[in-house]
Amino acid sequence: MTDPTTIDRKSRIRDFIVAKLLNGRAVGDDENLLLSGLIDSLGVFELIAFLEKSFGLTIPLDEVVLENFTSIDTIDAYVATKQA
Amino acid sequence: MDGVQFIDDIPAFQAGDIPDAVAFRFGDADLTYTALHSAADRLATTLRDAGVQPGDRVGVYVDKSLDSAIAIYGVMRAGAAYVPMDPGAPLARLTHIAEACGLRIIVSKERKAAGYEGVAKAVRMMDRVFTADGAVLWSSDRSTPVATPRARRPDDPAYVIFTSGSTGTPKGITHTHASALAYVRMSADLYGVTAEDRLSNHSALHFDMSTFDMFTGPYVGATTIIISEMHMKLPASLSALIEAEAMTIWYSVPHALIQLLERGGLDKRDLSALRWVIFGGEPMLPDALRAFAGHTPGAWFSNSYGPAEVNQCSFKHLSANALDGSPISIGRPCAHADLLIVDGDETAAEGELLVATPAMMTGYWNDPARNAAAFHTVKGKRYYRTGDLVRRDPDGELHFLGRMDRQVKLRGFRVELDEIELAISRHADVSEAAAVISGVPARISVYITARPDTAPTADDLRAFAAQSLPPQAVPSTITILPAFKRTATGKIDRKHLSEAS
Repeated sequence: MTDPTTIDRKSRIRDFIVAKLLNGRAVGDDENLLLSGLIDSLGVFELIAFLEKSFGLTIPLDEVVLENFTSIDTIDAYVATKQA
Repeated sequence: MDGVQFIDDIPAFQAGDIPDAVAFRFGDADLTYTALHSAADRLATTLRDAGVQPGDRVGVYVDKSLDSAIAIYGVMRAGAAYVPMDPGAPLARLTHIAEACGLRIIVSKERKAAGYEGVAKAVRMMDRVFTADGAVLWSSDRSTPVATPRARRPDDPAYVIFTSGSTGTPKGITHTHASALAYVRMSADLYGVTAEDRLSNHSALHFDMSTFDMFTGPYVGATTIIISEMHMKLPASLSALIEAEAMTIWYSVPHALIQLLERGGLDKRDLSALRWVIFGGEPMLPDALRAFAGHTPGAWFSNSYGPAEVNQCSFKHLSANALDGSPISIGRPCAHADLLIVDGDETAAEGELLVATPAMMTGYWNDPARNAAAFHTVKGKRYYRTGDLVRRDPDGELHFLGRMDRQVKLRGFRVELDEIELAISRHADVSEAAAVISGVPARISVYITARPDTAPTADDLRAFAAQSLPPQAVPSTITILPAFKRTATGKIDRKHLSEAS
């Protein structure tokens, strides 16, 4: 059974990305968010600020990499490891 | 290669000479010269069968990938000019470009369906959309027009790049195979590019700087590493890629270097393979360049100057030791360029820079009014008016003073917005600055982004600016932004700021 806080975390991330960075455009959790026409450089800054504030994290610059920030799934997994 | 008359002859030539050498690389995928040549030939056949003939324009609407290379070489191989369409641009802009140059055919990719289908619906002439492999993505109900073939000429257009258009509608800068090859040969010589080099392709196709990576690299048989959209947005991944790919020549706008410096984690990277770090498109901040040089042992630096209309026409090479924090000059004319400074009708040491080179555009696509204003004939020779103010120093070096349209009169005083930006960007906490004029009565507003882990205040910055600027040039307001909105080519979007202020 999935932990309810896990669902909550991922949906908060998804809601922020869709509402604030993609103007309501729906995306799959495994979809690449950094291709053209989706999240731009400015959006990456906003996303990091959101994650730090919402989840009480400090995200070092050298962790803002493809492995962690490509899709909602990878972002969620990254936040999970930071919270652990 | 002296016999090469068309840009698309380059892969054919290299496929004969160095068939298995890698022309382009993207992620883990390699495209050899043989593969590039045959893929471009295949696409050209598909396009010709769809009625494309010499002199036509074909849109290229793809995310950065190996398809970028195949699409542009394939379009040129069919005798047409490629028209890069920014994959991140809104539909209205794509439609405008398609209409302005009469696009009938676009090369794209399925994931861009929303864009090309939107264009296809809006533009009456649109007939087909193909993938770079030649598969049909979209087709009109019309029958294919019968092409009347004609021989190709070196003065046929090779590409038409639409500028982001800081004012009014976009302009289609039209370059021929002859002008493109003139630039390619000059730049290959200027940077001594060889088959051993590994070039970065940072600039997207709709940015003229990409022609160095896409044409000059292949011309000498080098490998060009196409940098993904993802890497462009994540400097720490980008710096890892530069190291992993052992890139030897870097070419980008200054902004990319600043991002790498501030967010690329360069302390942990080995960038010693880099031998040239070339930047252009807007002035580089001298302090940032000096800091960047601390991470690139063995690299030389070069300020590449030249509007997209003429390609690079001057250069300033600098060793790391020469970076003393003073403004970086735009140096001396390139071998193929004739530069003239005029003040009104007189030649002068300070004034507008005019440029004549064989690498000059033929003009803006189908735009007689702008073409009439863009060129100026002096003693029978046709020069392009750059709109840039420059000064020639006693040593013969040129210094960029600003855009003529960025020099404004404010309460009777001449104010240079670029000078204000440079003054404020010298503050230790400032990453980048942009100055704009707006309102009635006119006032100067400055926007800045702060360096990581600093928190400058507007009052501090105003006081700092007042130390070096004349009173009339001290900005009325300073606003600290988390990041700048950028134009399609990565420059700070000053028009947006001006409208917002």
